[in-house]
Amino acid sequence: MADLKISQLPAATVPLTGTETLPLVQSGATKKVAVSDVGMYGPAFSAYQSVSQAVPSTTWTKVQLQTEEFDTGSAFDSTTNYRFQPTVAGYYQANCGIQVATAASQVICAVYKNGSSYKVGAVPSGPVGFGNTTSALVYLNGSTDYIEFYAYFSIGQGSSAASTDTYFQASMTRRA
Amino acid sequence: MDLSDKIKKLYPELKNEDFVGSSSTISLRDDSDGKGAYIEKWDHPTLSKPTNDQLKNA
Repeated sequence: MADLKISQLPAATVPLTGTETLPLVQSGATKKVAVSDVGMYGPAFSAYQSVSQAVPSTTWTKVQLQTEEFDTGSAFDSTTNYRFQPTVAGYYQANCGIQVATAASQVICAVYKNGSSYKVGAVPSGPVGFGNTTSALVYLNGSTDYIEFYAYFSIGQGSSAASTDTYFQASMTRRA
Repeated sequence: MDLSDKIKKLYPELKNEDFVGSSSTISLRDDSDGKGAYIEKWDHPTLSKPTNDQLKNA
């Protein structure tokens, strides 16, 4: 095969599927690797609440997020369990936010891992706001590990169902 | 009346700080699975965990 410069190659079809291969040098030998095995090619999702949810007072409540903006790995369950369970092991950055629908309240967000509280966001001193956010960096093993979004309202009421107000997102930042 | 309202009716001396923050001793939880809220943790130093009958009659 004649030598070609990279600039002479035809452009690949994007977005990539992950099954494409790239060359690399490993232990002095040239080998191939699937794009899906390259560090930054990992699952990501963003979902928001499109149906308001009654959140009882002083009760950590799993937030229901019915609408997906994107879910590259089909890893977020937006119908039953409202959890993110990716099939690729790695470190994931998660973000979540929620706003109340009616009255100022103490609003707190938390990321739960495998059913237990993992990282809790700022705890306001009282019913001083209409919403809150938090984020967490979490390791997920790519099989059984999952994360969920829980919220706490000191004054029970409905949540604000809007893509800008009540949402949950995560993406892989580094493979395991 | 939800679980937290029933508990506060039984123990009106409880404050929001009992339920959240670094000094909380009680944790209520609702997994949004249709089963309703439940007491996840009750470590209050003086108030005993309410029984099901107490909650039912609250």
